[in-house]
Amino acid sequence: MEVEVAVPSASTSAVSNHHAPNLGAILCVLTTLLLAAMIFSMTVGAVHVSTRTILTALLAQHSLSGSESIILLQVRLPRTIAAAIIGAALSIAGLLFQGLFRNPLADPYVIGSSGGAALGASIGLFLLPQFTLLGFSTISLAAFAGSAVTIALVYWLARAGGRTQVVTLLLAGFGVSTMLSYSTYFIELLNQNYGLGMSVLVSWFHGTIDVPRWTQLAVAGGMVGLAASLCLPLTRRLNTLALGEEYSQQLGINLEYTRVAIIVTGSLLVAAAVSLGGLISFVGLVVPHLVRLIMGPDNVRLLPVTALAGALFLVLTDTAARTLLAPTEVPVGVLSAFIGGPFFLYLLRRTRREYKL
Amino acid sequence: MTTLLRFENVSFAFGRQSILDDVSFHLEEGRCTALIGPNGIGKTTLLRLAAGLLPCSSGQIFLRGQAVIGLRRRERAQRIALVPQHVMVPFDFTVEQIVEQGRAPYLRLFGGPTPEDHEAVARAMHLADVVPLAHRVFNELSGGEQQRVKIALGLAQEPQLLLLDEPTQNLDIGRQIELLDLVSSLRKEGITILAAMHDLQLIPEAFSSVLLLTPEQTLVQGSPQDVLQAAILEKAFNCSPQRHPVLVRGNPTLKEKTV
Repeated sequence: MEVEVAVPSASTSAVSNHHAPNLGAILCVLTTLLLAAMIFSMTVGAVHVSTRTILTALLAQHSLSGSESIILLQVRLPRTIAAAIIGAALSIAGLLFQGLFRNPLADPYVIGSSGGAALGASIGLFLLPQFTLLGFSTISLAAFAGSAVTIALVYWLARAGGRTQVVTLLLAGFGVSTMLSYSTYFIELLNQNYGLGMSVLVSWFHGTIDVPRWTQLAVAGGMVGLAASLCLPLTRRLNTLALGEEYSQQLGINLEYTRVAIIVTGSLLVAAAVSLGGLISFVGLVVPHLVRLIMGPDNVRLLPVTALAGALFLVLTDTAARTLLAPTEVPVGVLSAFIGGPFFLYLLRRTRREYKL
Repeated sequence: MTTLLRFENVSFAFGRQSILDDVSFHLEEGRCTALIGPNGIGKTTLLRLAAGLLPCSSGQIFLRGQAVIGLRRRERAQRIALVPQHVMVPFDFTVEQIVEQGRAPYLRLFGGPTPEDHEAVARAMHLADVVPLAHRVFNELSGGEQQRVKIALGLAQEPQLLLLDEPTQNLDIGRQIELLDLVSSLRKEGITILAAMHDLQLIPEAFSSVLLLTPEQTLVQGSPQDVLQAAILEKAFNCSPQRHPVLVRGNPTLKEKTV
């Protein structure tokens, strides 16, 4: 008896990755949107400044009035640039850590930098409330130091026999971060009971972008630029790391060096972001994930798109944060969770991807 | 024939547990060898040692006369490819993107893939017959298709030695035959292969020699007809010949046998 067997054609089940969006076009669109968002962000606020005024001033075709100059060049422009730097930094860091841990749920603070930064900021404010360096306040500097020390501690804890296990790194990061976060609550409690004047920390914990000085922007921007250039070779290695440790080793990847390079680069980005805007959550988790859903998983393509999308997302969110309930300012971290969260869940539900962890 | 891989008195132990003890053998260039032996005997360990991913406790392994452990990582990955049993890819990489990773040992620190890299990937995909799958998501493929993609990745490394760890595991008989057909075609291309195999039935068709690791840590090496003998296998696998469908006593060509 002959049995007819239907053989499915391979081409019929080709997926959307085949038609991944054109990288150049996406970058052009995002750059245009980012510039437009930054200009829009500068127009809104207690005093309205027209787009035309901003454009002509930026193109140096006419000088601004005294008040306009202060509002635009000393307040709104630095702040919108800060939002863009923070958004890009956190998004790239999220991309790096999601690739390192082969887990789309990893965020920039996954190895404990947020807990360290929070405790550092608390101690810094307690010990040297008036100190500044290059425009950075004690909170920023101590947060930077706290973040760096915590990551070094977590890495040391996770290292055994000359190797670092990724799962141990994740667990050590979780343990240290939780411990340090609760130390911060303890300091807050002391603040409430003994009036230590640390109420500024509360908004910092939820992410608030202050108006930065140009020196701050130069330092943070320099750090992010340096880290982003280090990312170029790392993104190719992240693609290989997706195959797992054994595969990566047999493909000639030095796992230990690559991990250290990713951790150092990611930490540099997080430290730059934290020093400018406190602990802004969700951006670093959501943006790389959203971009991956659209662009596919190739980290080389994801890097520039994630950076621009992160910058765009935070510029818009920060604009909303300072104008929605004006004159009250909503912490940008709260708003980024409100805006990003539902959008993220919608996409997650719509794509229904199955993740192999 | 030239010797490509040579194990000289190689021993390996995890802590105090000895896995391989004083193993010596050599593989000739262009040969396709099946590595067989009972479960837990150290087949995967032997492959990982050959790939330079584990250091020997004692003894040495040479690839064309050069100590494998002395090769630089990238050079080793350009000369030896190991296709592991399992791979879990957390993101939706396409088949083409997966195979492109085979060029990782050739890429410069800040450089992207060159036209030679693209050619090598295309050639590997053609050899492994995965061109029609190029734009499919790796995680959505069947087990047999994933095995072929992993072999394509190994071929993209353009290695002198291709090591396969249980390439037919969890495949149905049809996919096993397909995969061994692929191994046969690679053999005709002159690629030297050492493959750890569980299923002995199809070995004579695809492999030109067999390496048997026994519980006594002795090695039996020879043609499939020489090694796949009832007396040898019975001792190595501690299995009565009457209970094993592939054992044919005294017959150099394996035939179907009714148990």
